[in-house]
Amino acid sequence: MSERVVTCILCPNGCDLEVHWDGEPAKDRVEVSGNLCPKGIRYALDELTHPERTLTTSVRVRCGTQRLTSVKTAAPVPRDALASVRAALVPIVLEAPVSTGQVVAENVAGTGIDVIVTRPVPRRTGRAR
Amino acid sequence: MSDRIQRTDVAVIGGGPAGLAAAAAAAEQGAQVTLLDRNPQLGGILNQCIHDGFGLHAFGEVLTGPEFAERYVRRAADAGVRLESNAMVAHLAASGELVWTRTSRRARLRAGAVVLAMGCRERTRGMIRIPGCRPAGVYTAGTAQWLTNLANVRIGRRIVILGSGDIGLIMARRMTWEGAEVIAVIEKLPYPSGLPRNINQCLLDYEIPLHLSHSVTRIHGRHRVERVTVSKYDEAGAPVPGSSFDIDCDTLLLSVGLIPENELSRRAGVRLDRRTSGAEVDASYMTNVPGLFSCGNVLHIHDLADWAAEEGERAGAAAAAYAGGTAQLEEEERGERTPVHAGDGVRYVVPQSLAAAQGRALLSLRVTEPRGKTKIEATADGRTIGSIAVRKAHPATMVQLPVEANGVAGPVEVSCS
Amino acid sequence: MQPKRANPSGDSRVSDVVIIGAGVVGAALAWSLSRWRLSVTVIEKSTDVGMAASSRNSGVIHAGINYAPDSLRGRLCMTGRQLLMRWCDELNVPYDVCGKLVVASAEDEIPGLERLRTLGEANGVSGLEIVSGSRAAELQPGIEAVAALHVPSSGIVSPYALTLALAEEAAVNGVRFHLGCEATGIRPVESGYAVDTDCGPIAGRWVINAAGIHAGRLAQTIDPDAPALYPCIGEYLILDKQVGESLRMSVYPAPPVGGAGLGVHITPTTEGNVLLGPSDAYIEDPDASWCSGATADVLLRDSRVLWPDVPTHLVIGAYAGVRSKRTPPEVGGYEDFLIRRTADHKRVVHLIGIESPGLTAAPAIAETVLGDILAAEEPLERKAESERVRRPWPTRFDDLSEPEKERRVAEDPAHGEIVCRCEGVTKAEFLHALSNPLGVKTLSGIKFRCRASMGRCSGGYCLPRMVDILQEEFGWEPDAFLLRGPESPAFAGRLIEETP
Repeated sequence: MSERVVTCILCPNGCDLEVHWDGEPAKDRVEVSGNLCPKGIRYALDELTHPERTLTTSVRVRCGTQRLTSVKTAAPVPRDALASVRAALVPIVLEAPVSTGQVVAENVAGTGIDVIVTRPVPRRTGRAR
Repeated sequence: MSDRIQRTDVAVIGGGPAGLAAAAAAAEQGAQVTLLDRNPQLGGILNQCIHDGFGLHAFGEVLTGPEFAERYVRRAADAGVRLESNAMVAHLAASGELVWTRTSRRARLRAGAVVLAMGCRERTRGMIRIPGCRPAGVYTAGTAQWLTNLANVRIGRRIVILGSGDIGLIMARRMTWEGAEVIAVIEKLPYPSGLPRNINQCLLDYEIPLHLSHSVTRIHGRHRVERVTVSKYDEAGAPVPGSSFDIDCDTLLLSVGLIPENELSRRAGVRLDRRTSGAEVDASYMTNVPGLFSCGNVLHIHDLADWAAEEGERAGAAAAAYAGGTAQLEEEERGERTPVHAGDGVRYVVPQSLAAAQGRALLSLRVTEPRGKTKIEATADGRTIGSIAVRKAHPATMVQLPVEANGVAGPVEVSCS
Repeated sequence: MQPKRANPSGDSRVSDVVIIGAGVVGAALAWSLSRWRLSVTVIEKSTDVGMAASSRNSGVIHAGINYAPDSLRGRLCMTGRQLLMRWCDELNVPYDVCGKLVVASAEDEIPGLERLRTLGEANGVSGLEIVSGSRAAELQPGIEAVAALHVPSSGIVSPYALTLALAEEAAVNGVRFHLGCEATGIRPVESGYAVDTDCGPIAGRWVINAAGIHAGRLAQTIDPDAPALYPCIGEYLILDKQVGESLRMSVYPAPPVGGAGLGVHITPTTEGNVLLGPSDAYIEDPDASWCSGATADVLLRDSRVLWPDVPTHLVIGAYAGVRSKRTPPEVGGYEDFLIRRTADHKRVVHLIGIESPGLTAAPAIAETVLGDILAAEEPLERKAESERVRRPWPTRFDDLSEPEKERRVAEDPAHGEIVCRCEGVTKAEFLHALSNPLGVKTLSGIKFRCRASMGRCSGGYCLPRMVDILQEEFGWEPDAFLLRGPESPAFAGRLIEETP
């Protein structure tokens, strides 16, 4: 019997999930306790089999009132792909105005997930540069 | 140019989540509302909080800070709030008259009620007196976050973080994602101060060591940080001799506490609570100065923007009622009535008085230390007026306790058991 | 990293006067000399003026109670304080004759107060009075004293504002400043003297050695019998301006017998902060600026003796300065100032051991040296007043009345934007500081000129604003942001590289 304690990251409750399993972890072979809601069970299994994370980072903006905007992966991506996702975003420069929800990169690093803007940046008026 | 003093029913100082929500709520009650925020973009601190975890309570969604802010900006705008960016309040009088300033304009505004929502500032190296020289490369985590997320500036390459609060943890992950080496997180307490899920997704994910019961006892380097000395601390809070070790680094980030920014409040005569460093308020979030209300981080430091916003809504609605003359209690009846005390195991409670409560009231509190299964109870006049049972309690996680305020005469005590 | 040399072969001009050191004494000299038709060059090893002891002291205008009347430091203190206040009036540098209480915490300290009063009266100090403990508490609420010497003529001045104002007005009146240029020795040459520096030699007919803690060592390169100096560090704690609302005057302990300092005192500043300190400890490193935990505890403990309720939770910062002591560690105490010229090198003047009351005495030291130069170089022409370019220290926007603030905003829209929230510094003030005549572009240089980041949040609010203005409006890249010079970069490049 294998066991592990996983802290759920889905919400601020941060339930300590006690996970027990035999052999390879799979949906019907895993026992989860300590969760306050059903999402924790799914999260625990994912953590064991294919951990995923949402990446939040910045992307450059041209001609905006700020030089960066903030972006996120529209859904969690495999944890091991985080570095490639970030690398894929480095060369991107968006042109202001930029609006929330705007797609920055489709199917980023082959994950099937888009990266979208999370903070609007209006177009700059008048200033130099 | 300023002989004509403008007037508004409710002035809100600060355009972060609490201020925006207060302004929206006040306007939704029919008040004419002006919100003044000193930054170029509304949203307050949320604009630099590009990570997610916001909005679960307010919207049932997982949002980033800017997305969360944008919801409230839209709500305030839709409600007809006059939104003034780049507007810093330079002076506030107890009368509700304030002076605000921006490029090319310094003006006065008279308000029927004022909501203080100025947020907080960070505890600095100077305040905690870390010995050593004063080299470049020592930053508070929030300033580092701004530089990183808004200015596209890399603050350093080899980073030590003092303080395991959420801001420090988030920055540990952020800097790691951006190619810096985060060598260690140092925490003086024997337990982490941030949320467990942040320990998980910010430190464990990247194998960043966390040294509990340790603190930085010296900064080395005259011109730029070269290394820090870290020492273990015992239960009495004193350094343990012989426990020191050095960590080579070029940057020290400090995540050692937030301080409500009440300079304006103090000068307006608002009485502050030493335990929260925020105003003493009654159940309508009004301070001892009639017509001045307080909410959000300037009242007490929050860990959830959702709750800061909800608190703002309550304060904003009360401010609108006050400005509109429909406030329930006469001014003389407010103040010292029904004080709320922090009892066993409770560090502080806000509001500090149940005066002006209408039926139910919501007490926000923090416990003094981490505990497992706990019952938190509010008692007055020999009976329980509210209680809540939690699976675990932590000083870093605010607890909200609804209480029945009707008919309560004597002082209220909130304690853990 | 760029090489340090401003000019590979130094400055080939021969100045009339070369001043080594741009602390308050060097700056005072430069300013005095700039009124005369003389070419003056100042060599300063830091990237800005006043970065050593001159900006790291208590900022006190001494009354003259601590010195024997026949001592040089006593005489220069008495003439210096009058000159200093006049100069501050001319330059609009803030000062305040707020008075001082020297507190006896026990009966056996009262004779020490009487000794000070006698000394002071011999120096011509007026208004000295030994008062009871309760009277002391009336003069300064919160003070605990058995008795106290009230010194009404003691005052405070902003030492860095003074140094900057003197240096910058000197600069716009023709004095050349070589900043970031370290003097290593003085030697005679045909035209007079050459000061060897790491930017090459700089020649002058006169050399004034005002190099502070380094003055002894520098003097010895040409005058082997010149005395040595011993660094003695003094640490301070800075308290929030809130505390300044309760402190009306300086509060000193009765003088510690044989101590290397005047004892830990509590001093208001002209900006409204309160200083606790300094400590005193002999050290090896003349350029040290570190603060220690143990000393901070001592400062707090000693302050509480004088003012039991001193709000120690309102500490916002700490700094340390190094005294130039002529007395070695085993002796302690004080030696007199030394203004030294030898028969062989009459045009080389060494200022040695200028510690307390060096700030107060600085104008008098400058005038003494000026007097020596004028006497030797007769006839020298004084510039007409009309020729003098005025550059007064700007009154702080935050100190203006509300109607005046509104007027200023109308005149200059950049006064409407507040860059430093804690100190109320406007963008106009920030830009003025940035465009200083010494060409200093460091964060520290901006800080001392306009006060941005000297407040309680230590730059948490204003650093982002300054970065924003400098990046967006002045095109600064991250590596242009230096705390004190090229060795103290604030940043490490861009987060995401910006391709052109």
